[in-house]
Amino acid sequence: MILNRFIRWLGRYEGWFGGGAALCIGIGLYMGLVTSPPDYYQGEVVRIMYVHVPSAKTSLFAYLVLFIGSIWYLWKRDPVIDNMCHATAGIALFYVGTALLTGSIWAKPTWNTWWTWDPRLTSFAILFLTLVGYLMLRTFLDDKEKEATFAAILAIIGFIDLPIVYFSVEWWRTLHQPMSMSVRGISFAPEMLTPLILMSIGSSLLFSYMLMVRTQMLYLERLLEAKQGRLLSETRL
Amino acid sequence: MHFFNTIRWIAWKDLLSEVRNRENISSMFFFALIVIFIFSFSFSLDPRTVQEVMPGIIWVAFGFTAIIGLGKSFLAEVHNDCMEYFQMLPVPKGAIYLGKFIGNVLFMLIVETILFPLFVLFFNLDVLEKFPQFLLIFGVATVGLSALGTLFSALTVQVRAREVMFPILLLPMAVPIFIGAVEATRGVFNGDAFALYSHWIQLLVVFDVIFVIVSFWIFEFILDF
Repeated sequence: MILNRFIRWLGRYEGWFGGGAALCIGIGLYMGLVTSPPDYYQGEVVRIMYVHVPSAKTSLFAYLVLFIGSIWYLWKRDPVIDNMCHATAGIALFYVGTALLTGSIWAKPTWNTWWTWDPRLTSFAILFLTLVGYLMLRTFLDDKEKEATFAAILAIIGFIDLPIVYFSVEWWRTLHQPMSMSVRGISFAPEMLTPLILMSIGSSLLFSYMLMVRTQMLYLERLLEAKQGRLLSETRL
Repeated sequence: MHFFNTIRWIAWKDLLSEVRNRENISSMFFFALIVIFIFSFSFSLDPRTVQEVMPGIIWVAFGFTAIIGLGKSFLAEVHNDCMEYFQMLPVPKGAIYLGKFIGNVLFMLIVETILFPLFVLFFNLDVLEKFPQFLLIFGVATVGLSALGTLFSALTVQVRAREVMFPILLLPMAVPIFIGAVEATRGVFNGDAFALYSHWIQLLVVFDVIFVIVSFWIFEFILDF
């Protein structure tokens, strides 16, 4: 219950998260797109990194939140936590989609292909499909409690599955052909590192902000449904 | 003892009803047979190509079989209103899961064992003497597929669009099984030494152990709300 109170307390500072996200992303984008130098090998193309890396990181963070929230829901059966999980899944899908899209655009000039069955790409694609399945499952269930329980189960199974997918694809790739395009450790110049860190912070803040707003929306939606149900039963009487 | 008796009786009940009406195994078998036909029409039957694509064909066929068979695993229980009785059973709910799971593994293995000679027949394969290796791979992969399939079947059977949702949930999660099974099968086809593809079997075993345990634990929440 302390955690619940903490979340409610945090919710009061919602505007700070939104403002901080806008500020960090604004400055980060300006630095990334204008003041940071082009990469020695990749040229201007490298600038997509300032969107791609933060969204990939945030999507993993979001899935971690979803996993912990799901366990928490199964443990405490708190409907607010279920709303939070529902909201997280939608936002995580947005971030995974952004990471896949920008990654694909970035891969074309650097790796000369839109798509390759690299472990990271494959596990992100699986993550995308899992989240789509998660949201679909929620729309196909009428009973709210069942919906929450089943969705939580799916999220937990998916989270456990993800590292296995990663390692199996890694083995599969390394056996079939040498890793021609392993992500090399780019040593960052500080001019590049600053916007990247700013964008990462901004992206996480944006995630938190969207999470708070969306959780409230889902909560109000459920409240409205409950009220409508009550009104309906009263008019029938 | 209640625990093991429940497992035994549920698996036994499934097998008995299968022996009596033969619904599940026959639909799985004929569906997979049609898949084999379609594949032999869609690929040219030159022996080198066959060697190359065969592991994939086998596992696509078995994957479809799993979707047909496992997806229906809990359907009869819902139709006969048995889910409530499952909920009332005074044993850990994981026992019900294990019983169903064992029944499903047996069904799948029976179908796979019948189908494999047909693959050999239709595609002129020369691998019948490697049958034990294949059986081992089929066994470990089927256990993993059934572990996830039984769980998702119990989950989707209470959902509106269950025929759509079951494969959508199962197939992405089963990617490691398909990769491992196809690669191990390819190893046997190429006549590699066991050590060259044994790590894939290890991967499948790890997957099996993890998901049987996790599903056993989490099944409590599917029936108990």
